[in-house]
Amino acid sequence: MNRVFGIDLGTTNSLIAEIRDGVPHVLRDPITGAALVPSVVALDAQGRTFVGTEAIALEERADADIVVVRSVKRYMGLGADDLDKSDRQRYNFAETSGSVIRFSVGDRSFTPPEISAEILKSLKQRAEAILGGELVQRVVITVPAYFNDAQRQATRDAGRLAGLEVVRLLNEPTAASLAYGLQKATEGKVAVYDLGGGTFDISILNIKGGIFEVLATNGDTHLGGDDIDRAVVDWLLGDAGGAIAQDRSAWNRARSAAEAAKRRLSDDESTPVALDTPSGRLAKELRRDVLEGLAEPFVTRTLECCRRALADAGLKPSDIDQVVLVGGATRMPLVRRRVQELFGRDPLCTLDPDEVVALGAAVQAGVLAGGQGDMLLLDVAPLSLGIETMGGVLERIIHRNTTIPTSATESFTTAVDNQTHVDIHVVQGERELARDCRSLARFKLGPIAPQPAGMARIEVTFLIDANGILNVTARDERTGREHSVDVKPSYGLTDEEIERMLEESIDRGEEDIEQRLLITARNDADQLLTALHKQLMEYKELADQEERERMERLAAKLETARAGNDRQLIVRLVEELNEVSRPFAERIMDFAIRDALQKGVLEQFSR
Amino acid sequence: MIQCPSCGRLAEPSLQCSNCSGPLPANVDLFTALGLPRKLTIAPEQLEATYHRLGRELHPDRFAAARPEVRKASLTATSLLTRAYRTLRDPISRANYWLELHGRKARENGSRVPADVAEMVFDIHEELAEFAQSRNAVPADASDLTERVNERRMEIVNRLEALDRELAATFCSLDQVQDAPPDESVAQLLSILSRRAYLRTLLRDIEKALDTRPSA
Repeated sequence: MNRVFGIDLGTTNSLIAEIRDGVPHVLRDPITGAALVPSVVALDAQGRTFVGTEAIALEERADADIVVVRSVKRYMGLGADDLDKSDRQRYNFAETSGSVIRFSVGDRSFTPPEISAEILKSLKQRAEAILGGELVQRVVITVPAYFNDAQRQATRDAGRLAGLEVVRLLNEPTAASLAYGLQKATEGKVAVYDLGGGTFDISILNIKGGIFEVLATNGDTHLGGDDIDRAVVDWLLGDAGGAIAQDRSAWNRARSAAEAAKRRLSDDESTPVALDTPSGRLAKELRRDVLEGLAEPFVTRTLECCRRALADAGLKPSDIDQVVLVGGATRMPLVRRRVQELFGRDPLCTLDPDEVVALGAAVQAGVLAGGQGDMLLLDVAPLSLGIETMGGVLERIIHRNTTIPTSATESFTTAVDNQTHVDIHVVQGERELARDCRSLARFKLGPIAPQPAGMARIEVTFLIDANGILNVTARDERTGREHSVDVKPSYGLTDEEIERMLEESIDRGEEDIEQRLLITARNDADQLLTALHKQLMEYKELADQEERERMERLAAKLETARAGNDRQLIVRLVEELNEVSRPFAERIMDFAIRDALQKGVLEQFSR
Repeated sequence: MIQCPSCGRLAEPSLQCSNCSGPLPANVDLFTALGLPRKLTIAPEQLEATYHRLGRELHPDRFAAARPEVRKASLTATSLLTRAYRTLRDPISRANYWLELHGRKARENGSRVPADVAEMVFDIHEELAEFAQSRNAVPADASDLTERVNERRMEIVNRLEALDRELAATFCSLDQVQDAPPDESVAQLLSILSRRAYLRTLLRDIEKALDTRPSA
């Protein structure tokens, strides 16, 4: 297997790291030595994109043709109805028919996954420049532990759009625990407190003999250092705030000034803050106790999450052996003090809180590449998964903090005679009514052969994989046949949309395209192999010995090719195997149609 | 028999191929998933060790570079393994699952409240109502009531502990039986589970009442 890299795709900054000889390293810019790429993307009306410091430089220019997006992570997996007034003041959003929000730039518009993909591409280019010739293809990307399904899917989509194979989505606090756990001193019950630019997570783990078992996690995906910066901006601008909120350039300057002042106050007791506004110069003195007063409500919210996580883990604060701090916002003395008070012990922060998540991602990348043989990560699903039942009440089928991968099966039937479909609405959340939870997907089961109400028995399996993403399969209990499940994400891109985006993005290098094609070819091979394998098991009698052996020989060849990098070979073998297996596939089709005819459901096939 | 997606040979249905130790996409019961006999008594340390060993060997992290069928088998095997561990780790959910395997439902005599428990439920609810009313009454009265409710709490905790011992003994006697479990033992198991459920609810109600009281 190719090497796997670890990426921390952060709200404020992003990093890429690798593991070498069992030790994780962050890859730094060869010229500046910087580890962090600011998660800022500038988009212009010609479709050009700029990332990081280049994008920040463009932020100073108030220009209708250039849009600079900060904290795009906050918008991942959201729909238009999730946007609030301050979002709309800062950015223009396209009126969309679909469920995904789009940032408008001139005549164009971009979804959050497309914008995140630009950050990923920039990290990939940096790593490739440093490594000299080695390609970055497979990655582990970290996400907040409390990210829901839509936010996770959006992150995975961003990876695909950047031409990367996302081998695993890894929870950020868990990643941090891996980085600390590598230094064998960290064992026992560990609490990871992760306050980043835009998200907060708390995870409680039990670390024992190389097994990292997450006991409970909690958090808030819209709570972070950004919120404290905004509170400082409001304090700074005072009465002038209303007027300046309309002036994006002035507001951005105020935000930078506020953030810089907050950082200085981690060391100093008091600091001057100055800002030129259209209506004159503002100069104030910010004292640490005033900043702490502004930050306190946000810190209090994080502590509530900590208490809930402890309760779910069945532990008291005094049961915790180690507390680890992650994320730039944990540099604030107020945060350290409050965490110390809650757990009654000094938190650990020997690893750089900005780098520790990327380092942990690289460790997990090593595990997936087969290099860290003795480590095993058992993470959990952060939110309960349920289905909407009669009257909009939620039936929980997978409870929060269940170890993943996990699955649950539910039996469904028809409510009226000759019903041909059953509609299923899957939601995520802890509330009792489905409408108070986050809609995840809707899908139709069927076609079901016409029969009296309650006769049909369809068993649906809901599986949450190791990425924390839901997969749904359905099976007719009587015939044992698999049903196709067409899941429509409530807030996300469909596969077709991603394909189209990939095709539409033309300003990419030759190499990029080659890698993307390789991944597509591998996916095609996977699909074909899986389908054929299943058909050979299910419809043994429809292929004779010789034909079967021919298909199996070719399938074995394709499997070997799939593991390599020769795209042409994979494509050729896929075509060849398709050709060889066509008569067999046609016979299966005939058989299925005859079978269906007997059941009188031909109309379902001719749609 | 089931065909192993890793080595292609036939293996007994379980989560792990007996030939090559690869993951199998088998749909087995939760005891078989953990390689355990269908016994009610399980040592927690042994269960955790088995779970961790199988977890290491079957987890999708081990098969990130494997063929799609092997990856899929690892995913389904691991999800069943975690379900098995979660269910069998807790004696109550283990007992309920065991009853289900024997075609019995834990709640089948559920609507009948055991007589001794019924009386207690009635008394305690009366006391709790009084306790809630005293919220605005004179503190002297309240502290007296608090003491009484706390005594009740201890009484229930003790009864629950006694039930847990009774449960362990019933597990042992049922584990001795080779054939179908005798009806009277099953009835006893059902009765313990039912009484335990009532007492747990009572305990929760009491703790909630003690918790929500403003500290006088």
